[in-house]
Amino acid sequence: MDELTSVFVQESREQLADMEAGLLRLEQDPQDADNINAIFRAAHTIKGASGVIECGFIESFTHKVENILDKLRNGEITVSGNLATLLLECCDHMGHLIDVLEAGQPAPSPEVTAQAEALGVRLDAQLAAASGTEVQQGADAGSVPVEHESPVEVSGGGVVITDGWLISVRFGPNVLRGGMDPLSFLRYLSSLGEILGIETLPDAMPEAEDMDPESCYLGFEIHFQTRASKADIERVFDFVQDECELRILPPNSKLSEYLKHIEELPEDTMRLGEILVRCGALTQAELDEALRLQHDSTCQHQEDSQGEDAHPQQLGEILVEQKVVQKALVDAAVGKQTQVSEKKAKESRMIRVQADKLDQLIDLVGELVIAGASTNLLANRSGQSDLVEATSILSRLVEDIRDSALQLRMVQIGETFNRFQRVVRDVAKELEKNIELQVSGGETELDKSVVEKIGDPLTHLVRNSMDHGIEAAEIRLARGKPAHGTLGLNAYHDSGSIVIEVSDDGGGLKKDRILAKAIEKGLVQSGHNLTDQEIVNLIFEPGFSTMEKVSNLSGRGVGMDVVRRNIMALRGSVEIDSRPGLGTTMRIRLPLTLAIIDGFLVGVDKGAYVIPLDTVVECIELKDQPDSRHYLNLRGEVLPFVRLREAFNIEGDIPPRENVVVVQYAGQKAGIVVDQLMGEFQTVIKPLGNLFKHLKGIGGSTILGSGEVALILDVQALIQRCASADELRMRNSNRLLGATNLN
Amino acid sequence: MKTIFLVDDSATILLSISNILSKAGYATEKAANAEEALKKFKAGVKVDLLITDLNMPGMNGIELIKEVRKLPSYKFMPILFLTTESQQSRKLEAKAAGASGWIVKPATADELLNTIKLVLR
Repeated sequence: MDELTSVFVQESREQLADMEAGLLRLEQDPQDADNINAIFRAAHTIKGASGVIECGFIESFTHKVENILDKLRNGEITVSGNLATLLLECCDHMGHLIDVLEAGQPAPSPEVTAQAEALGVRLDAQLAAASGTEVQQGADAGSVPVEHESPVEVSGGGVVITDGWLISVRFGPNVLRGGMDPLSFLRYLSSLGEILGIETLPDAMPEAEDMDPESCYLGFEIHFQTRASKADIERVFDFVQDECELRILPPNSKLSEYLKHIEELPEDTMRLGEILVRCGALTQAELDEALRLQHDSTCQHQEDSQGEDAHPQQLGEILVEQKVVQKALVDAAVGKQTQVSEKKAKESRMIRVQADKLDQLIDLVGELVIAGASTNLLANRSGQSDLVEATSILSRLVEDIRDSALQLRMVQIGETFNRFQRVVRDVAKELEKNIELQVSGGETELDKSVVEKIGDPLTHLVRNSMDHGIEAAEIRLARGKPAHGTLGLNAYHDSGSIVIEVSDDGGGLKKDRILAKAIEKGLVQSGHNLTDQEIVNLIFEPGFSTMEKVSNLSGRGVGMDVVRRNIMALRGSVEIDSRPGLGTTMRIRLPLTLAIIDGFLVGVDKGAYVIPLDTVVECIELKDQPDSRHYLNLRGEVLPFVRLREAFNIEGDIPPRENVVVVQYAGQKAGIVVDQLMGEFQTVIKPLGNLFKHLKGIGGSTILGSGEVALILDVQALIQRCASADELRMRNSNRLLGATNLN
Repeated sequence: MKTIFLVDDSATILLSISNILSKAGYATEKAANAEEALKKFKAGVKVDLLITDLNMPGMNGIELIKEVRKLPSYKFMPILFLTTESQQSRKLEAKAAGASGWIVKPATADELLNTIKLVLR
């Protein structure tokens, strides 16, 4: 794909998203003229750009859509639910067409073409429905009556001999101020043919003191030979048509036409005749003949019409013309008003960069961070204070560069959220529920790669909430809730992670049914006492579904476990907060970035491990702890802990002094017992190979300044391990009195 | 070398026109919106011709033309606007604002260059 096409694809996608957002707003507020204009402009831009890249199939389809939008914009048709739906489908189709282009196919597949045709028929139907005659009138009113181009007359009698065109032009005073130079027209004209003769008419030039040097006072009579048509010649003067007097007489015109020409021009008749002769448009004989005719006709005319001369008709024409101008002015004024009220778009200063280049930069910054750490280490070892100082400045800069580089990849989640307006609308229609989407925290930023991957799980959660969470209107009313349900999407930062919430005001999760189902499916044994949290988490188990009826949207039971898996692949987690009768909130917790973290380096035996710094709360010394118990008293609080030495089966002697790193994740605290604390450390995450994928408790690896490998701990998994070990013990201690630890 | 200032909110059109122009030996200056363009004009950017789109979010092309014409150094600079609408009222409005002429999108490279040749001194 060449550069132009890829720019087009990206741009069109953005425009399409704007268009879709606009259409959704349109349903809420059909009268919003600014919005309609914005929608039109989006379609218009896509059409224009597709024309530029010569992509016919996009251009022709978008053209149809644009037509409808134009009618909408001009108030010739009004917004209806059907129309909005149709236009949204058209948006989708345009998206498909862009896919086709992006895939490098020369033309869309027959199915897509058939779809385009079907949409085209429906668009036409909408147009037709908007009462055909009215549309016709509207179109006429919009265009200004154009002077009919007179065909070139090759006449019989009274033909003059001259074989060139006569072009007579009087430039208006504002030509120069409009940025045009009369000379450039003459120069351009000569590219069409040959100027046989030219006479400059400075007659309109006022006295020196009255002359405005910025105004143009010149006129020209040009005898011109060309093969071009009259329309071509006219086109040369297109830009000044409105403010200049232009007359074009074809070659071999009738003498009477020359005469009329002479009459109509502002200059003195005699003088003009001479000019025409001088520039070669007429011969002297022809002029004499013409003037004689003029004289005759004037006499005859006076006899015929008895004072009612030909001028009234001319005046009428002028009046019509003036009317035209006035109409245009009115149009312009109206157009202006709407333009001014158009909301000032945010000033976007964007540079488009290919994602690969950014990734490469981040990679390099990662290497820089590692190299910086190694330099730091060496400097500290050398004990030269100058060197230590220099490297510490350097490492601060590296840190800043790292932050800025990561910031480059940060995008607002709002764009992703906005896509859900459409999802919610469509799903609500399908379910025949009235559901409103409330979005907040759209300005929260997170890594682009995370944003890309969160779309699908989020869609599933949203659909699930709409389908299972929000009740039908009757039930809602019976429960004393408003008939229309509310679905919320919210995002915010929370200590080094981003939290995305999908909340509904539905009935909440039915725990008894979930438990019953889980027992039926054999996911849990009956008789087990599960906590509320454990019960709601059962919906993330593979193969779980409580819906008896499988709907089109969700309820096939394949979704929620996939959702959790996808989120966990992003080093995130998902939790559910359900209140019976009030609603459910699903909370997705994700790391801000996948590439670099601030770590806390700890040591066990000879190995080094990294704990993500944003999870570390504090460090304490482990004192007088009997081996058997895995709890300690943290200022009156019970803190479960895990010994890394035990968790990873590390051999070696336990040092006399052990340390506990207190970590917190998703509201849960736990301790990790290690040998040494080695301090903060900025680190680049290197993913572990596939071979180690099943390892629990290790999230990745990194390279230390010394060149050694350190493993990055997966705090979430460790905490879970603590918690489950905890419960196991609790249960066991319930059953087997006295047994303290089976771990 | 003559410099031509392009203003269009469509990146595709900016790129395609500037490709054509650079091949034809013109230098180009670009802006994606009228506000940005006006800022450059106010800073005294040296250009021989302005080509602007009319329909842009924020400040539109007609307002841009008016504002640029108000600046003394650009009083006589040729200004072309891009339009696909053959609506006469729009053209008249743009002309009244001080535009020299227009280019109908999508234009072939020849049409574009011919029109530029016509208005460039």
